[in-house]
Amino acid sequence: MFRYLAQRLVAVIPTLIGISLLVFVAIRLVPGDAITTMLGTEAGMLTEKQRASLEAYFGLDKPMVEQYFSWIGRVLQGDMGYSVRHGKPVLTLILERFPVTFELAMLSLVIALAIGISIGTLSAVRHNSMIDLFGRLFALTGLAAPNFLIGTLLIYVLSVYFGILPNAGDYTDFTENPLKNLKQIIFPALTLGFSFSASVMRTTRSAMLEVLGQDYIRTARGKGLRPRAVIFGHAVRNALIPIVTLAGVELGYLLGGAVIVEKIFALPGIGRLTLNAISQRDYALIQGATLFIAFNFVVINMLVDLLYAAIDPRISYVSKK
Amino acid sequence: MSLSRILRIVLVLAVTIMGVGVIAPAAAQGGNTLIMARAVDATGLDPHTQTAFASLRLLELIYEPLIQADENLNLVPALAESWAFSEDGLQLTLNLRQGVTFHDGSAFTAEDVIASLARILDEATGSATRTNLLSIESMEAPDDYTVVLNLTLPDVPLVAALSSINTAILSSEVIASGDPTADVVGTGPFMLESWQPEEKTVLKANPSYWGDGPFVDGIEIRIIPDEATIMAALRAGEVDFVMFNDPLIATLPVGDATFTINRAPEISYHALQLRAAVEPLDKLEVRQAISCAIDRQEVVDVAALGEGQVTGPLTMPAWAVSLDELFCYEQDVELARELMKQAGLEEGFTLPVIAAVAEPPTALSEAQVIQEQLKAINITVEIESLEFGTYVDRWLAADFVGAIALNGGRPDPYPMYSRYWQYGANFNNVAGYIDDTLDRLMKEGQVETDPAKRYEIFVEFQKHLAEMSPWIWLYTGYTYTGQQAYVTGFIPTPTGSIYYLSQVKLNR
Amino acid sequence: MSARSDSIGELAKEPSVLRRLLRSRSGALGLVIVAFYVTVAVLGLLQITPYPPTEQHRVDRLQGPSSQYYLGTDMFGRDLLSRLIKGSTNSLYVAFSCVAISSTLGTLIGTASAYIGGTFDNVMMRIMDIFFAFPAILLALLVVVILGRGLDKTIIAIAVVYTPIFARVARGPVLSVKEMEYITAARCIGMHHRRVVFFHVLPNTLAPLIVQVSLALSWSLLTEAGLSFLGLGIQPPEPSWGVMLSESQGISEIAPWLMIYPGLAIMLGVLGFNLLGDGLRDVLDPRMKRLR
Repeated sequence: MFRYLAQRLVAVIPTLIGISLLVFVAIRLVPGDAITTMLGTEAGMLTEKQRASLEAYFGLDKPMVEQYFSWIGRVLQGDMGYSVRHGKPVLTLILERFPVTFELAMLSLVIALAIGISIGTLSAVRHNSMIDLFGRLFALTGLAAPNFLIGTLLIYVLSVYFGILPNAGDYTDFTENPLKNLKQIIFPALTLGFSFSASVMRTTRSAMLEVLGQDYIRTARGKGLRPRAVIFGHAVRNALIPIVTLAGVELGYLLGGAVIVEKIFALPGIGRLTLNAISQRDYALIQGATLFIAFNFVVINMLVDLLYAAIDPRISYVSKK
Repeated sequence: MSLSRILRIVLVLAVTIMGVGVIAPAAAQGGNTLIMARAVDATGLDPHTQTAFASLRLLELIYEPLIQADENLNLVPALAESWAFSEDGLQLTLNLRQGVTFHDGSAFTAEDVIASLARILDEATGSATRTNLLSIESMEAPDDYTVVLNLTLPDVPLVAALSSINTAILSSEVIASGDPTADVVGTGPFMLESWQPEEKTVLKANPSYWGDGPFVDGIEIRIIPDEATIMAALRAGEVDFVMFNDPLIATLPVGDATFTINRAPEISYHALQLRAAVEPLDKLEVRQAISCAIDRQEVVDVAALGEGQVTGPLTMPAWAVSLDELFCYEQDVELARELMKQAGLEEGFTLPVIAAVAEPPTALSEAQVIQEQLKAINITVEIESLEFGTYVDRWLAADFVGAIALNGGRPDPYPMYSRYWQYGANFNNVAGYIDDTLDRLMKEGQVETDPAKRYEIFVEFQKHLAEMSPWIWLYTGYTYTGQQAYVTGFIPTPTGSIYYLSQVKLNR
Repeated sequence: MSARSDSIGELAKEPSVLRRLLRSRSGALGLVIVAFYVTVAVLGLLQITPYPPTEQHRVDRLQGPSSQYYLGTDMFGRDLLSRLIKGSTNSLYVAFSCVAISSTLGTLIGTASAYIGGTFDNVMMRIMDIFFAFPAILLALLVVVILGRGLDKTIIAIAVVYTPIFARVARGPVLSVKEMEYITAARCIGMHHRRVVFFHVLPNTLAPLIVQVSLALSWSLLTEAGLSFLGLGIQPPEPSWGVMLSESQGISEIAPWLMIYPGLAIMLGVLGFNLLGDGLRDVLDPRMKRLR
């Protein structure tokens, strides 16, 4: 088990190096730099000497290769660099913003699972009925409506018809004021959760259909078990594996930050941080944030693999030798 | 625990949380602190290097220049109580306000003024406003409250340059031994308590402010990146004061609202920049034809829903000339066709135009209206919309043929245009056009000390520009702020500055 | 998995995929929606619209739906219905092109990778991981910012995002099929590698790929809309559903039709491709057979 873990971790390293290189090169291919994005057209009023001193300030004065190696060298020592625009170390910034993204991701996932599993189960049990069709249509609507559409509508309805808007830019930590925090997170989480519920629903449904058709379920039924006991005791449990896989993948995505939802609901998450960093050409921050997001993604995928073993006794990571 | 139970608990939990979110309305908040929201945050805290409007709006609350442009663009005393040019115009004497202290308690004196101006002039600072101060040859302080600037030439617009927040006075101590990009020590009505970029800025009232106010305990500036959400927050009463960029959102008709939207005409101008250096725009007739074919009022009506006024090159009411004195300000498609014929281009040509996404919010709409209007003279406009950073890069490199631009205005015409319309000016290549008349008028406009003669010079300047049509000046928009009914005392200004927040009272 | 290789043979004996698809409620509904959109897109392609989609009737701007403009006009006085029709053409063009590129490229990479195996497989999959672990919208955003805005560039940006997914989907079945007796047999009788791959290996990846294609189509519709919302989609004045939706920002309150119709168009489109995908899965997945 540990050996397996260690192997997986080692395999992650080249991926991360690849990502760091990709993002490093990509962001430098983007026209404009930190100076032009900060000063706008006024940057053209600078003399050469002035520009050189600003380049030194932003750390743009060294050759690209040197920039990369000095950066990656520091990353290996746990120093993700420094964001000049924010006046803070990149790691500090990420750790400040990550809890927002994490909370949003978890809550969205819970919502997606709640909606998806219940409709999916219902849909499978009443296979090909009207409930099946409408349940699926409902879940699919969440997927089909672009996030920004649902988000914009939610905000409009809240502010105009209810006279409230918890997401007015004053993001409060859960530890500081749990109630206020939940009020701020719930609507964006609903927006995201609703859109993810469709895939959970679909996976649940097809997994359940498959399981329900299998012999041991028929046997259970034949033994005279109540249908509910059959469904929840046997079918759902066995349908869990694909759902866990899916939840893992989606959690990985969600932890990368929900750029659009964070923007509309004014949440200071990782997605917005990265989006702003791109538009400001804050190289250190873009590199750090992307690497962090990718690392999360890879780790979560690994955890999902481990979870399989816990759920499904047939899978084992102990070497078979 | 059975799965059905888990499922049920999850569902109940989700519903409860949703319920909590909806039922409990926002508790009254703020006290005597003004809660403000805007979409874009400052890009930095150093007033000498920051040029983005969003940065200036924050820094104007914290720092002060020597001179201030008021809501009518008159230059009024700020840290300098009075100023005067010597007879020959080669000396500018500034008498400083006494009894002013910095936020750190130190006294404001001539030393701070000299250190600040010297910092701007120092190339290592990287201040774009340096070009406006280049006439300063030396500075001296006869006493603690007098500063004399010795000039290389009579530089009338220097006074206007000193009214920008980019020439704010910093503490000489911070300049000498601190970090002016991070140590925020000004003399303004508010003191910076914390700045979380793209999130929240907290300002505290400066108790020893020399002027009137402030009358609130502080300001909390929240960043809400989407302006539609800002409008929603204003409607829901979650914020007291907001700033808008997008006229479409700011002017939404909202019935029986408890808030008001203020608008003030801006001096920034929307223009179609053409580069006469590029064929076939090098032909005067072609540029004039474009000018004649464009219906400027329609651009305002469609792209900005009528929120703006057609303008000539000078946007400040005190300097503007009547529009019918300018070449082809009334759309004249016949004349435009005739001009195209003269240029031998009846068949038309393709004109690539760059526009930045959402900078300004109306940019792409303006481009699309112009595209349609120029079809009448067979010009095919190809719009290339660019992300803002890319746009700036292309603009600075003069790597475009046409560009939709929102360029900043100044209280004085010289600093507004000297960068474009002089031989060898920083942006002359970007402007793409120059002639002897423009260069001469610019130089005369800088040194002329008689206000009446100066005015005449700039009238000629405007007429000449409109006739040569190197650019097509379109319109000036408005700056928008919104405030709840209980917020009183705010005066919007044409520069977009919100320093009158120091006069605001909250009567919750 | 062993059932899969058999199922290809069985497919021929059973009623056609289309007929079986039509028998399932969701598949039929999805097919109808997709067929409808394709028809509309063709209309747009042939420029059969009430008005030219970019023609401005500036006196008639922001008009509600009427007998003159069936779905109303936008802020430039452009006919919304015409734009919606042409928008369908562009949106579907983007979606189909993205998926065509990413599925071809992804399948090639996935198949080659699995078939060749060893270090090559390892390296290719690590490269795919790099793109996979990169947040999708940020990746697309970066590509658009580097290349610039426009129809083709949007397509490339979205295709880059989805290629690794197809590579993964294709790789799995190939891995399991590769070692089967009939493949080994084919190789033993001296069949060329290329022939083996195209005639024996690839067909086995088809079922999951087809399902993936219909789902990817719906994602690319959404990704395009998202990019447009951030101001980085198709170049105006050309319409797409996403561009139209983002243009309605700010004025959707005074002219709700500008948001409602493009919004419905996207939703129905995504719904259609998803239902079709579900239907195809039911039909093509051999494991579902016993339920039929």
